[in-house]
Amino acid sequence: KEQYYSEQHSSLINKAYQTLLNPLSRGLYLLELNGVEPAQETDCDADSVFLTEIMEINEKLAEPKNQDILEEIETLIKVKQEELTKEVTAAFERDDLQEAKKLLAKMKYFANLEDKLKSKKIPS
Amino acid sequence: LGYHKKVVDHYENPRNVGSLDRNAKNVGTGLVGAPACGDVMKLQVEVDENGKIVDARFKTFGCGSAIASSSLATEWVKGKTVDEALKIKNTDIAKELCLPPVKLHCSMLAEDAIKAALADYKLKQDPKKEEPEK
Repeated sequence: KEQYYSEQHSSLINKAYQTLLNPLSRGLYLLELNGVEPAQETDCDADSVFLTEIMEINEKLAEPKNQDILEEIETLIKVKQEELTKEVTAAFERDDLQEAKKLLAKMKYFANLEDKLKSKKIPS
Repeated sequence: LGYHKKVVDHYENPRNVGSLDRNAKNVGTGLVGAPACGDVMKLQVEVDENGKIVDARFKTFGCGSAIASSSLATEWVKGKTVDEALKIKNTDIAKELCLPPVKLHCSMLAEDAIKAALADYKLKQDPKKEEPEK
C-alpha cells in the first residue's frame, strides 16, 4: 500500500516537474493559478500577420526538405520561442495577464511546429 | 483516439487542397487559428459575377478533424451563393463527420474560416465599407 502511495506521488512529482520545466505549460499553469482561462476562441484575421507567418512555416515544413533546411527552420522556431518566453515573463512580471494569455496562445502554435519538426528530423 | 471513417476519408483523400490568388478581386481569403490546440486553417473562395462560389481551396495544419472539417467546408461552399454559404453551421459539419465532443471546436474553426473568407470577399467588393470593430 505504501508502495502504491509512493508511486502515485512520484508520478505527480514528475508531472509537476515537466509542467514547470516547459515555458508554455508553465505559463498556462500560472494563468490557471491566477484564475485566467487560456485562450479558447478562434483567432481571426485580428492577427493575420502572425497567422500568415505560422502558415508559411508550416508550408515550408510540409515540403520535402534536406537536413540543413530543417535545421534552419528549427533555429527560427527556437528563436521565436525564446522571444515569446521573454515577453510572457515580462507580462507576468507587470501582472498583465491578458497579454500573457495572448502571448501563450502564440507559443502554442510554435510548440506544434516544434513537434512537427521533431518528427521530421532523422534521428541521429 | 479512433477517427470516424468519414474523417479518415477526408484526411487520406482531401478535396480542394491548395491556394487561390489572394490578390484577385473575386477571391476571398479567411485565415483562422485555434489557440487552444494551435491549429491553423486557411480557406479561400472564388466568387463569380453572380455572387456564386465557383471554386474553393483550403490549407489546414492541425488534427485530422480540423483537416476534415475544412475539406468538407470547401466541398459545401462550392455552388452556393455567398449568402447561402454564410448559413453553414459548425453543427452541420460536426454532424456530417460524426465529430466527438472533444473535436467540436474543429468544426467551429471551419465555420469561422468560411465566414472570414466571405467577409474578406465582401470587403474587396466594397472597400468604402468600414471593417466592423472586433
